[in-house]
Amino acid sequence: MRSTNPYIPMPVEIVKITDEVDTHDIKSFRFKFLNAQDEARFQYLPGQFAELSIYGKGESPIGIASSPTEPGYVAFTVQRAGAIVPGLVTAALHDMEEGGRIGLRGPLGHPWPIEFLEKKNIVVVGGGFAFTTLRSLVTYMLHENNRSRFGDITVIYGARTPGLLCYKDELAAWEKRSDIKTIITVDKGNETWKGREGFVPAVCKDVAPSPANAVAVICGPPVMIKFTLPVFFELGFSKENILTSLEMRMKCGIGKCGRCNVGYKYVCSDGPVFSLAELEELPRDF
Amino acid sequence: MLKKTAIHQLSDLTSALMGKGTLVAPVREDAGFNFREISDAKQVDLNFHNTIISPKSVFFPQTEDFIRYRTGRPLQEAETVEPEGKPLILFGVRPCDVKSFEIMDIHFSCTGAVDPYWQARREAATLIGYAFDVAAPAEPEEFYQTLGIGAADPEGSDIFMVRRGDDLILKSITGKGEALLAGIEGLAGASADDGKFFDDTVAAGRNFKTRFTCVDAKAITKKLEDLFHNTDFWEKASNACLSCGVCTFACPTCYCFDICDETLFGRGTRRRVWDACMFTDFTLEASGHNPRTKVYQRLRQKIGHKYSYHVRKYGVISCVGCGRCTRHCPVGIDIFSIVEEAMKA
Repeated sequence: MRSTNPYIPMPVEIVKITDEVDTHDIKSFRFKFLNAQDEARFQYLPGQFAELSIYGKGESPIGIASSPTEPGYVAFTVQRAGAIVPGLVTAALHDMEEGGRIGLRGPLGHPWPIEFLEKKNIVVVGGGFAFTTLRSLVTYMLHENNRSRFGDITVIYGARTPGLLCYKDELAAWEKRSDIKTIITVDKGNETWKGREGFVPAVCKDVAPSPANAVAVICGPPVMIKFTLPVFFELGFSKENILTSLEMRMKCGIGKCGRCNVGYKYVCSDGPVFSLAELEELPRDF
Repeated sequence: MLKKTAIHQLSDLTSALMGKGTLVAPVREDAGFNFREISDAKQVDLNFHNTIISPKSVFFPQTEDFIRYRTGRPLQEAETVEPEGKPLILFGVRPCDVKSFEIMDIHFSCTGAVDPYWQARREAATLIGYAFDVAAPAEPEEFYQTLGIGAADPEGSDIFMVRRGDDLILKSITGKGEALLAGIEGLAGASADDGKFFDDTVAAGRNFKTRFTCVDAKAITKKLEDLFHNTDFWEKASNACLSCGVCTFACPTCYCFDICDETLFGRGTRRRVWDACMFTDFTLEASGHNPRTKVYQRLRQKIGHKYSYHVRKYGVISCVGCGRCTRHCPVGIDIFSIVEEAMKA
């Protein structure tokens, strides 16, 4: 009988590592569970996260980048921290190879509200490395069993340079599909870049997705969010129909350790997904 | 069930309790009283007002191991320290501290994910409360009357004790308490007069004067929400704060913790330890972003948590007015005064 103690991680093995960006500090890790019952218990939806756990280093809360429609593994895209704060867990993980083993606790937090998104047009807006749980959402919606549950899907994704775009092969595949509108932009292109140039807010304004029966799901660096939100207000999106995901320092991930509160909400257990209407009720303490 | 014992025979009672489980009770130490696990029945000393540190550590230890691992060994060999619920008797807890357990239960075991360590210890414990001396004045820092807690409230205890002269009257409050009390030999039966004294003490405790200000949970919640952006208020309140965190460690309802790994000589432990929202790195993210770099932001968080956020989340104020935070604050910051000012704002 496996422990149901929420503080005890489940053992997983790295089965695939993908170097996502040309600066080599963002990698995607696919894990397989070592115990079948752990895998069965790990039922998740896009938008949730888990604690990656390395004994002797600690734990790090990371959004799940894979989709439950991708059986056999669970994936996380992890940036090596350490520019300012020593990133013990992420550095140790980046130094590991396929076959390496770590621990996993989760799934944690609330997912993107799938039922609320059903039958609506979905506008996904992402910036840089914050695209991970949006990649999960898009992959989930595009799955053949799910595609008909959602209206039009538009993805607007930007990075500073072409080399900093994550999931390049998948983006190329999405661009070829007719059931999703994919707009990729970079702040500054290079000699081989044939796509768009421009900041995400400006591109959103240019693309001008219709607010009719639509929900915008936005994740990115604070500066991108700050300038993107007014664009969506101007287009006529209500605060209830703009969703985002918050980050705060976390430890337990289950609403007990008292660390990640914004006002009376714990980001880990009450979020991390919030609508803009919900966020406006909270103090600006994040 | 109502029983009594002479105070000079206290060690007979505590010795009998030691036969029923681990006994944790007030012990006199150099710096004052604290709750300790009792190894000698004579250690228990009821001549205390209240303990330095709250008894929360009985259920939520300052440090506790989750996992023990060895470096270089496979992950699966790590040993999990599972929650353990061995019978425990917590003896001599003041009513405000008894109330703190109820507030902590809402957080740790009644709402959302269950903390198995807290829950196992709580379920295995029998709580023996002890009335403050209602004939003596309250300590100047105390303000439990403000939170609606009496000096002799038996609610929340399994057995409640009242001192009458040289006697100690014990009354069972719950079935668990009755079972324990019935199993202790050598206690005298209490008279109807003792029963009346017990009831009169409980009633006197309700009118017992501590510092008092009118704090309605809903009103203070709203006041603190409105005061959030009043930086001037919070800078004044936190002007002398050293961010030392002693207020949170002494507090019976502060539950913030860290989970950290320590490896020494190839053996490692993942454990939880108390943490404090008063520390600057409490909210420091891996990106370097930190929403609470300033002292006033952290004091605002602490008071906001207890008197506003907790009410919004769980319906109760997360403070019992025991006064420990004020008593131990090296610079004299007084949560009662801040709340009083907030109500006036």
